[in-house]
Amino acid sequence: MSGPYVPEIATDREGNEHEVQGWQGDFYGGKLGFWLFMLTEVMMFGAMFLALAYYNTLHPQDFLDASASLNRLLGGINTVILLVSALTMGLGLLKMRAGDVKGAKLMIWATIILATAFLIIKGFEWTAEYNHGIFLMHDKLLPESSLAFGQKLFFGLYFSMTGLHGVHIIIGIGLMLWLLKRINAGKVSTDHNILYLNIALYWDIVHLIWVFVFPYYYMIGAGGVTGGH
Amino acid sequence: MDTNTVNYQEERKVYYKVLVGLLLLTAVTFIQPHLFMTESTFLAQMLIAVVKAYLIVMFYMHLKGEKLIIAMVWFAISLVTVFFIIVIGIDVVNFQYGAESHITAPSAH
Amino acid sequence: MSKTYFDETHCAIGHPKSTFMQWMLTVDHKRIGIMYAAVMFVFFFVAVFTAFAMRLELFAPGGQYMDGDTFNQAFTLHGVIMIFLFIIPGIPAIFGNIVMPLMIGAKDVSFPRLNWFTFWLYIAGCCIALASLFIGEGVADTGWTFYAPYSMNTGTNVIMALVAAFVLGFASILTGLNFLVTIHRLRAPGMTFFKMPLFVWGIYATAWIQLLATPVVGITLILAILEKYFGIGIFDPAKGGDPVLFQHLFWIYSHPAVYLMILPAFGIMSEIIPTFSRKEVFGYRTIALSSASIAGIGYLVWGHHLYTSGMSDVAKTVFSFLTFFVAIPTGVKFYDWVATMYQGKIVLSTPMIWAMGTIVTFAIGGITGITITMIGLDIHLQDTYYTVAHFHYAILGGVVFLMFAGMHYWFPLVTGKLYDEGKAKIAFWLNFIGFNLLWFPMFIAGYYGMPRRYFDYLPEFQIYHQISFVGAVVFIAGLIYMFWVFFKGWTKGEASTPNPWNATTLEWHLPTSPPPLENHTKVPYVDFEPYEYHHGEPVVKFNYETMQRID
Repeated sequence: MSGPYVPEIATDREGNEHEVQGWQGDFYGGKLGFWLFMLTEVMMFGAMFLALAYYNTLHPQDFLDASASLNRLLGGINTVILLVSALTMGLGLLKMRAGDVKGAKLMIWATIILATAFLIIKGFEWTAEYNHGIFLMHDKLLPESSLAFGQKLFFGLYFSMTGLHGVHIIIGIGLMLWLLKRINAGKVSTDHNILYLNIALYWDIVHLIWVFVFPYYYMIGAGGVTGGH
Repeated sequence: MDTNTVNYQEERKVYYKVLVGLLLLTAVTFIQPHLFMTESTFLAQMLIAVVKAYLIVMFYMHLKGEKLIIAMVWFAISLVTVFFIIVIGIDVVNFQYGAESHITAPSAH
Repeated sequence: MSKTYFDETHCAIGHPKSTFMQWMLTVDHKRIGIMYAAVMFVFFFVAVFTAFAMRLELFAPGGQYMDGDTFNQAFTLHGVIMIFLFIIPGIPAIFGNIVMPLMIGAKDVSFPRLNWFTFWLYIAGCCIALASLFIGEGVADTGWTFYAPYSMNTGTNVIMALVAAFVLGFASILTGLNFLVTIHRLRAPGMTFFKMPLFVWGIYATAWIQLLATPVVGITLILAILEKYFGIGIFDPAKGGDPVLFQHLFWIYSHPAVYLMILPAFGIMSEIIPTFSRKEVFGYRTIALSSASIAGIGYLVWGHHLYTSGMSDVAKTVFSFLTFFVAIPTGVKFYDWVATMYQGKIVLSTPMIWAMGTIVTFAIGGITGITITMIGLDIHLQDTYYTVAHFHYAILGGVVFLMFAGMHYWFPLVTGKLYDEGKAKIAFWLNFIGFNLLWFPMFIAGYYGMPRRYFDYLPEFQIYHQISFVGAVVFIAGLIYMFWVFFKGWTKGEASTPNPWNATTLEWHLPTSPPPLENHTKVPYVDFEPYEYHHGEPVVKFNYETMQRID
């Protein structure tokens, strides 16, 4: 693996030459691989939505009540933050491809800051819930509490899904910091930006998951307790 | 799809247009429970989410420009996931409450 | 002597001088496949001896060497090792890695460093699973299926087992991803999808299942961990949760997982049958497409594991119908293989007799599966020895036998040596006879009501257990003998030519045996079908310096 990669040529019986696709320098392959990885993420969260839908069907009213008690303002702010962060990440990729490396790095920093803001607000949300007695292994979510089954399940899944989503945000921040390192090292540039593309796609998936998590948890109980299925 | 010949300004406009679309849809998300389809908030919310997801996947994730195979795979995944939910749904709807479990049937709706 | 892949290699990090570090850091798909095989077979024998210990205990009613709790841990360990550490990585990790890139004319997989990382992820998962043996209360005693609510309440190391399974599942996903991109991107010029060898089709269908089904069990295991540690309530009836939901989520993966196991094995069968019938495979397209349809329909049938768990009758009927349906593509394959053998010049080498033996044992496994697809019958046979015999006939008599067949087939390719044919055939018969003695009585015992996972039983079942024990002894003797034959072959066997079976697929058209590091000297242009034989001889011949056709 020394020196630049030169693709092999295969010759058929008529003498025509065909370029052989090697594993090195395969931009489309890198993209395809990452799309496939994202499908696995979708399947993972999809299975969690399945569990959620199942219990929702069994306990429709409890789910509406629990949903109504979530903080829609903070959730909405987080939605907008994540939305804008998807834009900044995408714009950064465009800048990188157009040659503006400095602008691209600024955009990555913007995304990191927005992601951190998301986590901080989520922290506030969870703290408020904890103070209301709603947290894992705590007060209202213990088996002995009088909270309705449907609400316990709602909150159990709420903390699981938003928690897992938060873990993915943290991983995303880590990936972006690593991306900055690689740009500074010259390994990611205008001509070699598959890593940037893949991390941008990752961030879009993280946003996509929130696009479904937010309405399902926060908004179904929004129209008052009778706004039902 | 040679990704190195990108018209930066064109793509930038698309990104901002999608941003506006997504922000608008988010606003609709908040207004909907008080304005329209109030009896079926869940359905309305999920429909809005699907539209948002379509915009994100098509434009931010550039699926519009990709070869058909990836779009077909997404379609297949969605089909399978919907099938899971449908079959579990069939199971739940036909749940023999008294005969098979101690869960009482939900009374209010 | 030209260099082979044993003499030189590419590494993930740096350029180490020591042979040991070169193996530890290698990104060469051939070496990685060998390392997978080495680790897997060690664990395979651990699980075999665990099973033997159970057979010993079950020789007579009552407790002799183990108490009930230890017995529960034994069958859990047996299941977890066999399923997660051996069979699911299984053929894709070994032969998918070694042979598949050679078959499509590639120099390596699409992401060799990811391949290296995946191997070590697999090792990490194995270590976590092993560690659960020695920590705290020992191995989980829930069965490899970890059903709630018992798995939530037991004090044994369920969490470690779940984490190990998650890590191993992640390794499986990454392998599938790697193979999918490899098959899409790195096929030799001219090799369309319908010119690929059928083993590659098998790996391709398997990779889709690895990619799309494994995440579901991944999240199920995470939910189980969250339930056990944080009490989120989804599987706990005390909080309104439903243990049957765990079963649904678990089997949504674990049923496609069995297709993940069998599809590469069928791929091996589809390679061996034409080669040793000296004839083109009958129905190439139907075999290829049946792999894809088994993968697809296999997603829709998981409920047949839950017939007695409290599903609605409507759902049961849906699943039963779909399960009958999924047997049809498999049947198509069997007919195609038999049709391939018809009027062929059959060569009864060891790989071929393993393949033919598997046709018998897997047919029994498959048809007994159809029996328990019928809801009425399953009410009586669920969780009896009938089910146990069914899946051992299907998995051991199908997947593992074909893995052994593949090992005999590709042994000259990997090692450059030949094993002793006569002794290998004796090993086959020991295995085949032992296997049937071990498992067939269990169909009868299950029919008469012997429950599975029971460490004690009524005296009327003893005769079946005793016959099984004799079968177990013969079978294990056969296994050990077979590996000894391989060992002798590798160390002292005669050197092999690059194409000892005179086969047609690309992995046999390498310049040296064992292969060189960079595989083919030059990537050929593929304007031929994978199994072109004319009067028993391969049609396509190559000049191995230029890889141009000279026929």
